[in-house]
Amino acid sequence: MSKALKAKDQLVRILVPAGKAAPTPPVGPALGARGVKSMDFCKEFNARTAHIEAGVPTPTLITVEPDRTFSFITKTPPTTYLLKKTAGIEKGTGRPGHEVTGTISLKHVYEVAKIKAKDAHLKHLKLESIASTVIGTAKSLGLQVVP
Amino acid sequence: MSFLSRSSIRQAFSLRLTRGYAAKSSSAERIPNISAKGTSAAAEEKTLSSCPPGTILEGLNYLKGQPPVIALPDDEYPSWLWDLLKPKVYADDGPGGKAEKKRLRKENQQRIKDQNFMKTQ
Repeated sequence: MSKALKAKDQLVRILVPAGKAAPTPPVGPALGARGVKSMDFCKEFNARTAHIEAGVPTPTLITVEPDRTFSFITKTPPTTYLLKKTAGIEKGTGRPGHEVTGTISLKHVYEVAKIKAKDAHLKHLKLESIASTVIGTAKSLGLQVVP
Repeated sequence: MSFLSRSSIRQAFSLRLTRGYAAKSSSAERIPNISAKGTSAAAEEKTLSSCPPGTILEGLNYLKGQPPVIALPDDEYPSWLWDLLKPKVYADDGPGGKAEKKRLRKENQQRIKDQNFMKTQ
């Protein structure tokens, strides 16, 4: 790591609905505080997520450099979001392991894992491992997984 | 590895009935498979999944204009998928091996939990 860095890049992790950026509450202050013009970010974000259905929460990682230029990476929707949509439930339980909110098949798990496998930070994992983590997430939502 | 020793895993599995947080129905479904034994693919495939092929899996087509995701027939999924809900079996590699370490750790953790519980009584 070079010690010539004066200031570090700032990282901002935000969950933004695809195609719908620019609202003040979530995005505005978070970016504005680091000196990024939110309109610029929103235009670029909406352009990059144009191929995704509107409103799907998209985790993004924004890197703001000391000279206030920014770059960002978008990731696949959260696993809990995908599982809730597949199972048709609104919210997970407050008491996982004790309450059951719905049932999911291993085929659903497989398809969700296929979506998550497209993420850059999961590329090195076997699909089997990703599927195991999806099952773990399903359990924490109170979803029963059957073969 | 798991593909080669599938029958041995089945046999080891039949010795200890699984409980499973998930679904009593899953263990009920699998017991007839185990008692049939052997690696007859035809008998196993019929009861592999509760999700019939052709079921539409909602909510997974999150891209615009993506056609709905449909469940495929059971044999088009990789074979490891059906082992995901079973307790993970480690090949016994003798004393001091991975299997023994996992077993001992599990027993120790269970003992601590039991002791903690008894303290509340």
